[in-house]
Amino acid sequence: MKALQLTVNGKKLQVMVPEHEMLSTVIRETLGMTGTKTGCSQGSCGACTVLVNQEPVLSCITPAFRCEGAEISTIEGLANAGELHDLQKQFVEKGAIQCGFCTPGMVMTALDFTRKNPSAKIQDIKEALSGNVCRCTGYKKIIEAVATYVSESQMKKGKNTKPAGAERKYGIGISRPSLEAGRKVQGMADYADDYPLKNALHVKFVRSLYPHAKITGVFTDEAKAMEGVRYIACGEELPVKFGVLPISQDELAMAIHKTRYVGEIVAAVAADTEAIAEKACQRIKVHYEPLKAYLTIDDSLKDAGESERIHEYGKYNNNVHKKAELRFGDQEKGLKEADIVSAMSFEMEGVSHGFTEPHAASAWWDENGLTIITATQVPHYLHRALARTLEVPLSRVRVIKPHVGGGFGGKSDPFPHEIIIAHIARKTGRPVRVRLNREEVFLTNHGRHPSRMTIRIGAGRDGIFNVLDADIAIDGGAYGSFGVVTSYYNGVLLQAPYKIENFGFKTYRVYTNKPQCGAMRGHGAVNSRFAVECLIDDLAHRLNMDPVEIRMKNFLDADSLTVGQYRITSNGSVESIRKVAEQSSWKKRHGALEYGHGLGVGCGFFISGSALPIIRNELPQSTVHLKVDFDGRVLISSGASDIGQGSDTMLAMIVGEELGLSPDMVFVLGADTLLTPVDMGSYSSRVTFMAGNAARDAAENLKREIINAVTASLGIPGGELLFSNNRVFSNDKTVDLDWNKAVEILTAKRGAVSVSGKYISPKLGGDFKGAGAGLSPSYSFGACVAEVRVDPETGHVKLLHVWGAHDCGKALNPMAVEGQLEGSWHMGIGQAMSEEMKYHEGLLLNNNFLDYKIPTSLDTPDFSTNIIETIDPEGPFGAKECGEGALHPVIPAIANAIYDAVGVRVTRLPIKADEVLALIQKKKLNEMKEQML
Amino acid sequence: MIAENKYMLAGSVDEALQAAKQYAGSYRFLAGGTDVISNKIQGNDTASCLIDISRIRELKEINGTGSWLKIGSLVKLEELKNHELIREEFPALIQAAHSVGSPLIRKTATLGGNLLCENRCVFYNQSEWWREAVGYCLKCNGDICIATGGKKNCFSKFVSDTAPVLIALNAEVEIADETGVKIIPVRQLYTSNGINSLAIPAGSLMKSIQLLPGTGLRCVFMKLRPREAVDFTSLTTAVSVDGNKKIKIVLGGVDPGPVIYEPEAGFDPEEMLEKVMKKPRMVDNDFYPRGYRREMIKVFIRRSLVELKII
Ligand SMILES: Cc1cc2nc3c(=O)[nH]c(=O)nc-3n(C[C@H](O)[C@H](O)[C@H](O)COP(=O)(O)OP(=O)(O)OC[C@H]3O[C@@H](n4cnc5c(N)ncnc54)[C@H](O)[C@@H]3O)c2cc1C
Ligand code: FES
Ligand code: FES
Repeated sequence: MKALQLTVNGKKLQVMVPEHEMLSTVIRETLGMTGTKTGCSQGSCGACTVLVNQEPVLSCITPAFRCEGAEISTIEGLANAGELHDLQKQFVEKGAIQCGFCTPGMVMTALDFTRKNPSAKIQDIKEALSGNVCRCTGYKKIIEAVATYVSESQMKKGKNTKPAGAERKYGIGISRPSLEAGRKVQGMADYADDYPLKNALHVKFVRSLYPHAKITGVFTDEAKAMEGVRYIACGEELPVKFGVLPISQDELAMAIHKTRYVGEIVAAVAADTEAIAEKACQRIKVHYEPLKAYLTIDDSLKDAGESERIHEYGKYNNNVHKKAELRFGDQEKGLKEADIVSAMSFEMEGVSHGFTEPHAASAWWDENGLTIITATQVPHYLHRALARTLEVPLSRVRVIKPHVGGGFGGKSDPFPHEIIIAHIARKTGRPVRVRLNREEVFLTNHGRHPSRMTIRIGAGRDGIFNVLDADIAIDGGAYGSFGVVTSYYNGVLLQAPYKIENFGFKTYRVYTNKPQCGAMRGHGAVNSRFAVECLIDDLAHRLNMDPVEIRMKNFLDADSLTVGQYRITSNGSVESIRKVAEQSSWKKRHGALEYGHGLGVGCGFFISGSALPIIRNELPQSTVHLKVDFDGRVLISSGASDIGQGSDTMLAMIVGEELGLSPDMVFVLGADTLLTPVDMGSYSSRVTFMAGNAARDAAENLKREIINAVTASLGIPGGELLFSNNRVFSNDKTVDLDWNKAVEILTAKRGAVSVSGKYISPKLGGDFKGAGAGLSPSYSFGACVAEVRVDPETGHVKLLHVWGAHDCGKALNPMAVEGQLEGSWHMGIGQAMSEEMKYHEGLLLNNNFLDYKIPTSLDTPDFSTNIIETIDPEGPFGAKECGEGALHPVIPAIANAIYDAVGVRVTRLPIKADEVLALIQKKKLNEMKEQML
Repeated sequence: MIAENKYMLAGSVDEALQAAKQYAGSYRFLAGGTDVISNKIQGNDTASCLIDISRIRELKEINGTGSWLKIGSLVKLEELKNHELIREEFPALIQAAHSVGSPLIRKTATLGGNLLCENRCVFYNQSEWWREAVGYCLKCNGDICIATGGKKNCFSKFVSDTAPVLIALNAEVEIADETGVKIIPVRQLYTSNGINSLAIPAGSLMKSIQLLPGTGLRCVFMKLRPREAVDFTSLTTAVSVDGNKKIKIVLGGVDPGPVIYEPEAGFDPEEMLEKVMKKPRMVDNDFYPRGYRREMIKVFIRRSLVELKII
């Protein structure tokens, strides 16, 4: 330890710091200024950017002592006496903030850049932000925010323009920033690792070095003897299995007797500091007896022979976890009758969510039982898993969701680290905290399954599809997670957006000795959608039809049933594809551009929430409470998890609209399992539809209460009253009350009033096994056109533009919808172009943000974003999902554009230059051969 | 016994050299620190004493007044483009510097540090735990190269993006040690041995990088990488030609050291490309397979020669 002098945001400080400490640690931990974030701790994501003597640095790789005597500026110092800096205002106004985890670093980088380049152009801004990774926004709104700031600053010179957002209108269908954007842009929003915790222990893990091995001994004596080590936990202490699905309770908090992937937790150390815990972990010796490892789909499909299987599971002596199969019509007959059939095999690597906030949690026990604050999308399922594994009643567990730095499905399972710290907190009687580093986040995985599939699709000469048959295998990794659902989704979600009579699929999900896969944005259907949309492109070319036209001919109608009895309500497929075709000048340009330059199209659809809850019971899928008290304020409490997508804001908008209240009267209390009613959580794109409907129902109920109270107090017959502009009135003005007056009447003699609303899906679907898979009260639809340039000598693909359109029913908050669409396209582009999880003998090779390649601002093309509105009859104000479905069409659009550019069909993801080049060369060779014949 | 961690801010070259002597064997100079610290975080750099040279003012200057252009070793990659003479005479150096990491990295990273950054390999640039799991490779005191499945040679990649350009431009560096200052060509900084890739002697400090303007030397720089920012190189090429049409080709990112090839006058381009392509000792430790990277050597060099109007 050595004394370090710093000036931080104008305040002179002296702190004692270890000599090799990094600046980020000093800022966050020594000074407690947690506005600065760390996403990778390796210089690759930009989240930790601060200014040192007015120059931006990555504080995670800047030694603190380099800053001796220096002036540090962090995000906390930017606003002036509560007034946001103009740049911050633009971030808020333009919707540049979703989860907000990248925001502090982004703002600091942009601040420096715009100071030095006061007349920067869009391309300069893209370039300047290319070291700051954002996983949520697709950068578009961030770039817009910075560009607007630049142009306004230029205009403002001398003049006094009115501050942004001064006269905002509020209401359904009108864009507004999220409730907490102001907090996030100032670094004031607390994420799981930001909570101060008195007297806490820190936990680190011993992780398996083998993909598949018997554990023959865990030796902890040396570690136990270390000063500062308080508790060491091993597998046997937590023997109860868990898993997010009731049918796949196959996980343990820590491995017992055997380990199933490299990186699986074998033991945990709690110590006074993280550093001690880490050292102690290194001193724990684990003896392993390696078993045959199953690392590929083929390994696991085969009979295991004498070797030990990964799980003792299933009828056969192999490592198949789940076989899902459904058939409608007759595929063989369909194939025979088709005039033309396209059949191809595809392979997709696994990809990871790449949320910028690493998992973190803290837990303690007191008279109320367990409290855990954790970065989760599903407080409710975690609540159940904790009660189960810790063997306490549900009433003894409280899960609090803080601000969450993105999830995308990767925070939608209960996790071992959460269970372990809860356990150690109980054993030691002390608060316990944990945070995973980026490598551990990658090892925790639950990302998209590596897949391979062979799909056949047939059509008549008229281009009408008559058959689709899919044969799919997905690599689930070591545990079940959402895998059973994934297995179905790969297949069932091919029964739309096109009419197909003879439709069938078979999916095998296998266990392998790798970190488990689970749910990721666009769950289950992204890969098979890619395959099908490529095949349709092929069909169109062979039939000499326009790929847009052929799709138009086959779309399902609104208000119809699919072959597997999904109820389609509103359907904006036609509008979507028309829009993107028109904007991209498709008719004129597709098939007509010079060699190396191409356009491609893809479509998609997705569920608006799974109609069936994971745990079958009679609970509503969402319940929302409203509380009104003497001050007139309405408190919405909901278990729905805002993880940056803006669901709290959505709830406030819906309730505000229903009750005719201005935004300052409506508050949201979100996702705390003690205080808020049950909501299933943020997965399957269910929140707007389900929690939104529950909120609406609650507001209706509150209205009824008010109407009853008011009419009774006036002695007039009950009936309808209107709620608008903070007033409650009747058309004839016999009732005309200020909201607060109405509330006074309501609460008189009774006190604060709480009402509740709920959502339960209608009974849907067919009467056959598997009919429930993919059932949803509503479906979203969409289309993308991508434009690429392919370098035929290198195979390099440059994405030039993406036009996207998505039918979300009704855009409650258009800016938030656009943000979801742009984020989805960005994530799709990552999977299409550069992202993959690569393994070496079961060991993940690219477990950091340098080697796992999320597109930077420079790799992300310009988006033309189109919202299509079709008004769903059951969605709140007509809304349906927009958070996942938009990802589906973009990947095939890119592959199809490559075909248009150079005439080769890419069947593997990610699309790598070497492969594109090989395909181009093969095609040339074939052409030469043909010419010679 | 773990030595106590030390951090010192050197105020001058002499102070830095003194400190290096005092902590011989356990120190590391820190310029921008972007490479050192990343390697420290992963436990690959275990130096217990960090000698921060970033405040030595005399190493931050660019001096173009003499016949040689002297670029202080601490000049940041981002700053090179602000210098008129560099812009006019050596645009390829600016492009190379601009291709390093991200804008944030380039605002901290120095030219000297870039020349001396550590070789990389996917089996080496990993956490302590990871390397234990894979069974430590040659570069971290193991017995075999894991990328090749057991060879006794280390094939870590030489990754500096500015070095190929500087070699192609015949740059020299000023190296100071206790005994004084000597000047060596950039290429002599490297051993081409993956395990210990740097030839700069312990206890010495790079003061500047020197280039001779006005020779009519022209240079083309290219870099292959998956993303347009952040990524290290999968292949870096620099091709220069002087007034006498003498060509120099330098490759980075494909071999444990920079690969230099100077074709004889009157060469046959395709034959030459074939030869250059075969020179690097390349293994599969990159985002792209090695066959592809080899092929790209040809494409990049051919394109560079076309750009230089040689073919
Ligand atoms: C996310 C990320 C991306 C990166 N991308 C690239 C890339 O694309 N291309 C690339 O080439 N590099 C890249 N790097 C590595 C590194 O940032 C650069 O090589 C950078 O130029 C190193 O410069 P530095 O000043 O930070 O060096 P430092 O880390 O300070 O030093 C590097 C080495 O040089 C020695 N050294 C530095 N200066 C002197 C001197 N004057 N005298 C003697 N020894 C000295 C140090 O002791 C150390 O051994 C990347 C790093 C990160 C974190
Ligand atoms: S946390 Fe510093 S760059 Fe990612
Ligand atoms: S808002 Fe950028 S990472 Fe979430």
